[in-house]
Amino acid sequence: MIKNYLKIAWRNLLRQKAYSAINIIGLATGISACLLIFLFVQHELSYEQHFAKADRTYRVVNDLIVDDEIEKASLTTGGLAPALKADYPEVETAVRLVNADKQAVSVSDDKVFYLTNSYFVDSNFFSVFNYKFLSGDPVTALAAPLSMVLTQATAEKLFGSAAAAQGQLVKIQGESFKVTGVLAPSGPSHLTPDFFASMSSLGNEFMQMMEGEWGNTNTYTYVVLRNSSQAASLQAKMGDFFLKRVKPAYDQMQSTGRVDYKIQPLLDIHLTNDWLYELSPSGNQSYIFIFSAVAIFVLLIASINYMNLATARSAKRAKEVGLRKVVGAHRSQLVSQFLGESLVITLLAVLLALALVELLLPTFNGLTNKSIGSSYLLNPVFGLTLLGIILLIGLVAGSYPAFFLSGFKPVDVLKSDKAPRGSGATLRKGLVILQFTISLVLIIGTVVVYSQMDFLKKADLGFNKEQVAVIDIPSGDTTLTAKLPLIKSEMLANPHVTKVSASAQIPGQGSGVLIFLVERNNAMVEKTMNMMTVDYDFLDLMGIKLKAGRNFSPDMGTDQSSGFIINEAAANLLGWKEAVGKRIGFSDTTSGKVIGVVKDFNYTSLHDKIAPVVLRVRPRTSGYLLARLSADNFDEALAHVKSTWARFDPNRPIDLTFLDESFNAQYQSEEKMLKVFGYFSILTIIIACMGLFGLTSFMAEQRTREIGIRKVLGSSVLGIVMLLTKDFAVLVIIAIVLASPLAWYGMQQWLQEFAYRVPLSPWLFVSAGMVALIIAVATVSVQAAKAALLNPIKALRSE
Amino acid sequence: MLKIVNLQKKYTTDEVETTALNGISFEIKPGEFVAMMGPSGCGKSTLLNIIGLLDNPNSGEFWFLDKEVSRSSERQRADLRKHHIGFVFQSFNLIDELTVQENIELPLIYQKLSGQEIKERVNEAMEQMQIAHRRNHFPQQLSGGQQQRVAIARAVVSKPALLLADEPTGNLDSAHGREVMELLSALNEAGTTVVMVTHSPSDADYAHRIIRLLDGQIVTESITERHAARVLSPEF
Repeated sequence: MIKNYLKIAWRNLLRQKAYSAINIIGLATGISACLLIFLFVQHELSYEQHFAKADRTYRVVNDLIVDDEIEKASLTTGGLAPALKADYPEVETAVRLVNADKQAVSVSDDKVFYLTNSYFVDSNFFSVFNYKFLSGDPVTALAAPLSMVLTQATAEKLFGSAAAAQGQLVKIQGESFKVTGVLAPSGPSHLTPDFFASMSSLGNEFMQMMEGEWGNTNTYTYVVLRNSSQAASLQAKMGDFFLKRVKPAYDQMQSTGRVDYKIQPLLDIHLTNDWLYELSPSGNQSYIFIFSAVAIFVLLIASINYMNLATARSAKRAKEVGLRKVVGAHRSQLVSQFLGESLVITLLAVLLALALVELLLPTFNGLTNKSIGSSYLLNPVFGLTLLGIILLIGLVAGSYPAFFLSGFKPVDVLKSDKAPRGSGATLRKGLVILQFTISLVLIIGTVVVYSQMDFLKKADLGFNKEQVAVIDIPSGDTTLTAKLPLIKSEMLANPHVTKVSASAQIPGQGSGVLIFLVERNNAMVEKTMNMMTVDYDFLDLMGIKLKAGRNFSPDMGTDQSSGFIINEAAANLLGWKEAVGKRIGFSDTTSGKVIGVVKDFNYTSLHDKIAPVVLRVRPRTSGYLLARLSADNFDEALAHVKSTWARFDPNRPIDLTFLDESFNAQYQSEEKMLKVFGYFSILTIIIACMGLFGLTSFMAEQRTREIGIRKVLGSSVLGIVMLLTKDFAVLVIIAIVLASPLAWYGMQQWLQEFAYRVPLSPWLFVSAGMVALIIAVATVSVQAAKAALLNPIKALRSE
Repeated sequence: MLKIVNLQKKYTTDEVETTALNGISFEIKPGEFVAMMGPSGCGKSTLLNIIGLLDNPNSGEFWFLDKEVSRSSERQRADLRKHHIGFVFQSFNLIDELTVQENIELPLIYQKLSGQEIKERVNEAMEQMQIAHRRNHFPQQLSGGQQQRVAIARAVVSKPALLLADEPTGNLDSAHGREVMELLSALNEAGTTVVMVTHSPSDADYAHRIIRLLDGQIVTESITERHAARVLSPEF
């Protein structure tokens, strides 16, 4: 019997090629989209899973509270780890990590490389994070000062191969580090090291400062609990940690601040966005939901095609159903036959989808910044998902046609050779509306995300980010920073380099906040604000406008020691109507005065309201060298900047970016979302239109006789096309009406993430609706025109 | 074979109630060949559908193989059809996607016979209907007469006790029509009870008995001349 079913299924597939292609290609596209998103979601959820103690490892994070302002920071003080280990028996191990950011490292005089993620860690770090070692011993690798463990990628970059690296020397800031181990590539983690070096290499002075000063936050602290069930009780016990351990030190500093310590499960780090100073960009839980929803929608649209086409063409199968019943088939047997057919189609679609996934994976990896390899095929969860998809589509999408077709009565269908009238038409229309509603929500979503991105990029930030080259000044190179005035004047020798400045921070890089002492009611109080250290030319180069007072000037000797410029937001925060002349400083010993107020500028991305910023001046600051280049001779100016820099820093490769690019990099996750929305909305509309195409051809076929009669009675081709198109156009218009409020609500929610956002104009909805309508009408018209152009005599004879 | 007592069948649409069969009673003995005649809409096809257990009467009794089946479930009726009834239609109703041989084996598949037995029975039916040489052809590749022979082969392959034919020659030219009638006649002589709906007096003449219907009622029942002659002939 199964053989007979398969035979019929296969021959039906071959006989109705267009129908089969719509079904299989549509389903395959839907399934491949779904699988790609599954891989993405699985990757996002697999962070840290490969560490053996991941389930009982926690990161200690803290709320730094000063004058009701809370800063939620993942950086803690260096003394925290030993104190936690000593105070709480639940803590089995506590380890620390100091991120030294980007370092220029050399293996010989002429070979200098930049390594972006330089981690200095305690010697027992690998007992918590059990990386696999290609060479070296995890227990002893970082026991000695000036020892380092490289990742395989770093070892290959520096020494050509992992094997060649072991035992070699690497020079960092004048010190020679010995390579004591090489790590094998590991699974996804919030730690993205280029190398780990022993914490003791930072020197006794640093260690004492780090462990002794509770106000100094530069360390990430991780603890392993003896048992993960102790987390809640430990958290409760840590409630008085501040009072016991930290408060005395704060009192000594006369600080009124407070710190609340919290333990955060290691497994939650990647998908939590609450904490500042993350070691790597966090994932976004809401994007996981959005992406998963999109995947399900695409699959749903493809499944609807299957259901709609299967029932629309039921007339073709009606006779077979009747006949099988006449010869004694039970309804259940027919149901299994049709379910079997849909399983066969789904299976074919899944095979095609797997090929598509393999083909699209590199592009998808680029889109999502992932590096998912083909090993997913061996993953049992992936296999189960695949099986789930086959059963879900095969049985769910297949069940409606199966029950619908098997319900035909032989008496009704055997004589007329047709399906009973009105069969399933209403449901089909409903499903088409559903398909287009989903497509439209995605299209509107894409348009809104696009408009918002455009708005973000073109918004007036209060400074001019265009045409500014940014050179990263290697940290700790005092010889180089000493030469900055000379470098600046040499760069300015080229008339196309219009301005040059140096600053320790640049907008978009978010250095974090500092505690200031500010004047309030004739007393000094603590306030946290962002601080930027800049040179005399910074405001001029950036185009930041003065609102009151004056700019920093080299002619005013006191500016360096006690002059501060604040922005309007800072003046508002401090409640200063006349800010110039007010007292401000870091502590009683280094207090100064506000010399100027600048107009507000976006120090961080437009996600956030403009933050209060305090600027101080240092002509030889390390950090960044900024050069504004003329637009007319951009290439020449850029070449001059590069060659000038290379003359002063010949041994290191130049690290040059552009201010607009680095600022816009803050919108990476939105860019990602835009791309995913864009691709998937195109995909859904294509699949939905494939379904419409199939449906129209069946509808036109069913109405061949009507079309013939209308033509004989004098209807024009256009009239017939309108007749067939009208019905579908109405469905799309209903979908527009349904989709608009849904999309409006969804996008309104999304836009809440931005402090500055584009208004949701009705035109966005109208234009997206028009696009969908035009595409749908065009699809339907092609088929309708084909039917309308048929010779009426032929049409009438077909009955 | 079957007995019908005071059978009623009504169709109700939104506003109109149509009586298709109105108090029909008759009996058909095993081995009989009965033709049902009457103008279009007289209820003969409805009656045939009820006899074939494809439709239910509203009231009355229908005894098939000594069982009252007018209230049987769909599953019971499917089982009865499967084992005891064969159908031949005016429009052949072959499945286009299956070959001649596959169309004929269809009823046996639902009887869950062994592969070997199916093969033997299908071969036998094809030989009997002289279409074995076309076994791998699809219906569209055959003439109307050949298609109807395939349909008859399919109807008899499960060796049903009752063969129902709904205007079996309606879509055929007279030569092919005669051929089909000869086949039905031969099957009847071999023991199969045949009930046939027809408009054609010459086809009806192959039957033993003609039941004439008008407006849902039996107006006459008569023995055919050919049957009368055969019954009266010395060889009978």
